[in-house]
Amino acid sequence: MKDDYLWDKSGQPDPEIRKLEDILGTLRYQPKPLEIPVSRRRNYFPLIAIAASLLLALVAGGVWLRVRNQSAPPPPQEAKVVPTRPKIDDATPEPIRDKSKTTIAVKRPHHKSVPSALTKREREEGLAAKQQLMIALRLTTEKLSLIHRKTQGITPANQIKNQHRVG
Amino acid sequence: MKALFRMKLTMPLILLIALPFVVQAQDARLQLGSLDHLAAKANEIVDVNVDERLMKVAVKLLSDKDADERDVKKLVDGLKGIYVKSFEFDSEGQYTAADIETIRTQLRGPGWTRLVNVMSKKDGNCEVYMLFNGDQVGGLAVLVAEEKELTVVNIVGPVDLDKLAKLEGQFGVPELGIEKTKKNDDEK
Repeated sequence: MKDDYLWDKSGQPDPEIRKLEDILGTLRYQPKPLEIPVSRRRNYFPLIAIAASLLLALVAGGVWLRVRNQSAPPPPQEAKVVPTRPKIDDATPEPIRDKSKTTIAVKRPHHKSVPSALTKREREEGLAAKQQLMIALRLTTEKLSLIHRKTQGITPANQIKNQHRVG
Repeated sequence: MKALFRMKLTMPLILLIALPFVVQAQDARLQLGSLDHLAAKANEIVDVNVDERLMKVAVKLLSDKDADERDVKKLVDGLKGIYVKSFEFDSEGQYTAADIETIRTQLRGPGWTRLVNVMSKKDGNCEVYMLFNGDQVGGLAVLVAEEKELTVVNIVGPVDLDKLAKLEGQFGVPELGIEKTKKNDDEK
């Protein structure tokens, strides 16, 4: 029996090969247009992730702005422009000026006007904060002093002993 | 492939959420809340929380005429906060090494440098840390752990140690001797 059929499909095919061809032939490639299913479930994950990121960024920005505004100092008062004395040559005598105007200019130092601008609540809060600040600084310098003494090898006990000997 | 795509989208999201915490980590403000439980055991407690806003209000009330207050004003001007927690106990062993470690862990973060470390079995440990943002000082931390006392001081902002040293001797604070030594050296 010739095997030509297996090579170029010429000659008489073997019945078993023919049978196999018939069975497997159904699975042969058949060109047809691509069918896209109509009811395909869309993946919304990327969109949701982007939206969530933007939302988070907005919330974070909002919180940051709020915190910033809370910690920001109250709007500064308009600086009062105090008329400055015109520059006069040292040799020339000082011209006579309106005394009341001079007094106003001198008796309005900037630091005086700031505390008066504080409200009663702010003042109370400020006084409490000032007290806390002083306590904190006192304790800080006290502890730094202790550390300094320790680094110098002078313990408070030693100091007392030395003072005793001197006294 | 899908999983990879999801991961690519999730990663920026996680980074975005983590960003505030990363930013906070570089801040000089220490989280001292972990020591709050010691308040119940303590005989004396000093708890100072002066944030930037309060600091600005307090600075307004500091007089320029009074020399002491003027010095304090110079020191605290520009600071963003002062936080102190100090506990004094009746007996020893009221706080644990873990309590101190929660603070030390934060001070091992980027930027913090330990300037002083005094270790003594008898007198306890004293540590001074400074936060540097490049050449600028960003904060100061003092940790003093004695037998019956635990103190943590946290100053946020550009603290000037020279100005702080100038405060010694004021408000009943003992003299550090830093300036004196300098002056004596100058005289020589």
